[in-house]
Amino acid sequence: VTRALELAERAVRAAEGDEADASVHVERSGFARFADSAVHQPTLIRDESVTLRVVRDGRVGCATTNRTDDEGLAAAAARAGEAADSSPADPGFPGLQQPAPLPETEGYDEATAALTPEEQAEAAAAAITAAPELGLYGYYTSAVTELAVASTTGHSVAQAITDASVLALAASDEASGYAEATSWRAGDLDPAAVAREAAEKAARTEGADTVPPDTYRAVLEPYAISELLFYFGFTSLNALALLEGRSYLSGRLGERLFHESFTLWDDGLDPRGYPKAFDLEGVPKQRVAIVEEGVARDVVWDRRTAKQANDGHVSTGHGLSAPAQGFGPIPFNLAMSGGDAASVDELTERVGDGIYVTRLHYLGVVDPREGIITGMTRDGTFRVQGGKVTKPLVNLRFTTSFPALAAGLLALTQEVTLVNRSDFYDERYPYGTLVPAVATDSFTIVGTGSGPGL
Amino acid sequence: VDALAEHAIDAAVAAGAGYADARVVQRRAQHVATKNGQVDTVSDAETEGVGVRVLVDGAWGFAGDPRLSEEGVRDAALRAVSFARASASRARRRVELAPLPPASGDFAAPVERDPVDVPLEEKIALCLGAEEGMRRPEVKITEAMVRAMREHRVFRSSEGARITQRFVECGGGIDALAVSDEGRVQNRSYPSAHGGSSGQAGWEYVFGLGLDREAPRVGEEAAALLTADLCPAAVTTIVVDAEQMELQVHESVGHPTELDRVYGTEAAYAGTSFLKPGDLGSLRYGSEHMNITADPTTPLGLGTLGWDDEGAPARRQPVVEGGILTGYLASRETSALIGRELGGSMRADNWSRMPLVRMTNLHLEPGAGTLEDLLADVDDGLYLCTNKSWSIDDKRLNFQFGTQVAWEIKKGKLGRMLRDPTYTGVTPEFWGRLDAVAGPEAWELHGLTNCGKGQPGQHAHVSHGTSPARFCDVQVGVRQ
Repeated sequence: VTRALELAERAVRAAEGDEADASVHVERSGFARFADSAVHQPTLIRDESVTLRVVRDGRVGCATTNRTDDEGLAAAAARAGEAADSSPADPGFPGLQQPAPLPETEGYDEATAALTPEEQAEAAAAAITAAPELGLYGYYTSAVTELAVASTTGHSVAQAITDASVLALAASDEASGYAEATSWRAGDLDPAAVAREAAEKAARTEGADTVPPDTYRAVLEPYAISELLFYFGFTSLNALALLEGRSYLSGRLGERLFHESFTLWDDGLDPRGYPKAFDLEGVPKQRVAIVEEGVARDVVWDRRTAKQANDGHVSTGHGLSAPAQGFGPIPFNLAMSGGDAASVDELTERVGDGIYVTRLHYLGVVDPREGIITGMTRDGTFRVQGGKVTKPLVNLRFTTSFPALAAGLLALTQEVTLVNRSDFYDERYPYGTLVPAVATDSFTIVGTGSGPGL
Repeated sequence: VDALAEHAIDAAVAAGAGYADARVVQRRAQHVATKNGQVDTVSDAETEGVGVRVLVDGAWGFAGDPRLSEEGVRDAALRAVSFARASASRARRRVELAPLPPASGDFAAPVERDPVDVPLEEKIALCLGAEEGMRRPEVKITEAMVRAMREHRVFRSSEGARITQRFVECGGGIDALAVSDEGRVQNRSYPSAHGGSSGQAGWEYVFGLGLDREAPRVGEEAAALLTADLCPAAVTTIVVDAEQMELQVHESVGHPTELDRVYGTEAAYAGTSFLKPGDLGSLRYGSEHMNITADPTTPLGLGTLGWDDEGAPARRQPVVEGGILTGYLASRETSALIGRELGGSMRADNWSRMPLVRMTNLHLEPGAGTLEDLLADVDDGLYLCTNKSWSIDDKRLNFQFGTQVAWEIKKGKLGRMLRDPTYTGVTPEFWGRLDAVAGPEAWELHGLTNCGKGQPGQHAHVSHGTSPARFCDVQVGVRQ
């Protein structure tokens, strides 16, 4: 944390303008990626970057650099100043965050931060060794990330976070199964157990059958519902989308849109997830009630959208760094309440006749306004008959309404699971969703794809 | 930085690497976006660092470090060797590289006006001007963006490769979002959805896009879509515009012909391929009208380069000829497995990532005639334009694409506009229904910057040249 904060404060001092703030990201990560039971893309990354925002006469400009010596920061400050001078005044700029106390959070584990490349490779090997009958594909990764924001307003915040994930696809040409685990404490993970879960799932997928297109009752494992929820969240639970009329919730807040068992919130402070004390413009994180017992309540906000709404909303601590704020605020810590089902088997019983989905692939939002999402199932799709999983199915194309899925909930497991949602593009920023497995009466299949396996 | 790259190689070899390469990358990128007549983003980012890749006892290791100093590059080299050694002790097989004569040379994309040096005021003014033309009462959001990038890349290998390259990219696009009083939402984009189109060229490329020229049409069509009828479900003939064909080629030909997917190394994330190594030369991918070429020498292409990120020279290679699979995109490692000539397809998105098998510029070769000629032969069908949504399965077989707009084709002429069109298919069956590709005069090159792959994830910049193409008996109107 010391390093990130020191960088942020140095960057602000280098800036010339009426106001300035700096957002800093420091990463040290190791990624032991494996395929066919051998590590093949082991990647170690060190980086640190500074995004400096300068305000001059209401004009705003940004510059980012990973040259963090005095010369590099001075050059970034000059480029940010030039960007500001080049721009007309920004009437939507909400100003910089004022000093504010941070909530206390967890999220940093010394043992995870201290993991060496050798230990990361050992963890990958533990997964590989546990699934000897099939090829294992996936990764073990861990990292320590430091975030800091400093501002000429006197606001100065920093946090160190750790993350670790293991992902396993056990596969042959005709079979495949999937499992993963993630935590800010590497000690919570059991790579061998994850690999065994994937291998056991794979063993049940050979000889897959098809089903005709239809709307099915379905069990969705946490991996699957997490992905649907995140895509829905990105496009609909974002204040910018709400204000622009693109969100499913535009004009629908306050209405009962979903089943009463569907309660959804975003809570960056929950220690079961990836806790963060502040967003990427330094605003303290708040818990946001998004859906309560089926009634749509709110979305997440950043400083710009709060100003744009001009209705009393304030930032809930979901802002991106300045150059990325065109996307609007993002709910990085979505969580669903669990239900009363003791197990996934109980969900299967309640579905009775339908399908069972482990994991999804390559989602696309067909119609954000209506919450319609397409994608494929993969690595563990099964037929459910008589309340039991009866036979494997090929990968199925779904084009389904997320709101209809959530309105048609039949049951949820009591247990909720943290599912990693980061694909580790660009700068590392660990996040995930806390979700139960769910049963729904509305999951629409529109076609069939390839069978399980490689 | 040349000396630093060589220092990294020396350090890696001294530490026990049997093979080592080092890439030093220095990049500066600008992004300007305006929205509803106001500046939305003005950003200017630079990054630099070294990526060192090594083979130790037949196992890979890679480390990236931002410090361009002797200490920084040596640390990266030693960490890469250490990680490779930790992996090698558990490796089941040794990585073998296809032989490659060490290259030496320079490459620079031809540029008339360096886009990074174009004043930000000029970029902002271009965006604001383009937005103006899209304004309509129904259009609630107008957006315009331009980007510019300049990169200096040095590559050295322990085999003696010495390569210096300079890449320059820029691009732009406009979007109009129309919202009706009833809450219906529609959008139109130009020249491509999802961030416009980019080319490896100077600012003259952005100027040539004609964003302001196209803006009135984009605004009008977004507004008109609010009252258009929903595209009905049917099995029909479709003519796909060049922009959507770019994505069709990308997803259903480009990715499945990447040899790392064929051999399974992307299985856990991006997926594999329905193709097998033995399919080469025999698999019927599509109709006789289907000719696909990988060409990292295409002028303006985002995948145009002198050498790839393991030093293989750019080479134009057929991938599908007359509907038959005749080529793969390969790395030295995968080329050694299949015995194919390298074409320059190993690319990393930055200094901090390992190179992966990647598309460079992948084209559907033109056929004959104009778009109007394609339409003229259609008694009843749809003309589909500009991507809106996309999804394809892990083996690249079952796909579903949505486009922003469709027009009915009736007796060879375009008719009424339809909203929310989608089409779906299975890759070789779909390409088998290709019955015409328009000619060179209708061929367009589009560059996209968001091709995701790898863990940790990487965004590749790739280009596709296509003409509008016609397919018969395609399922359209899949919704839910």
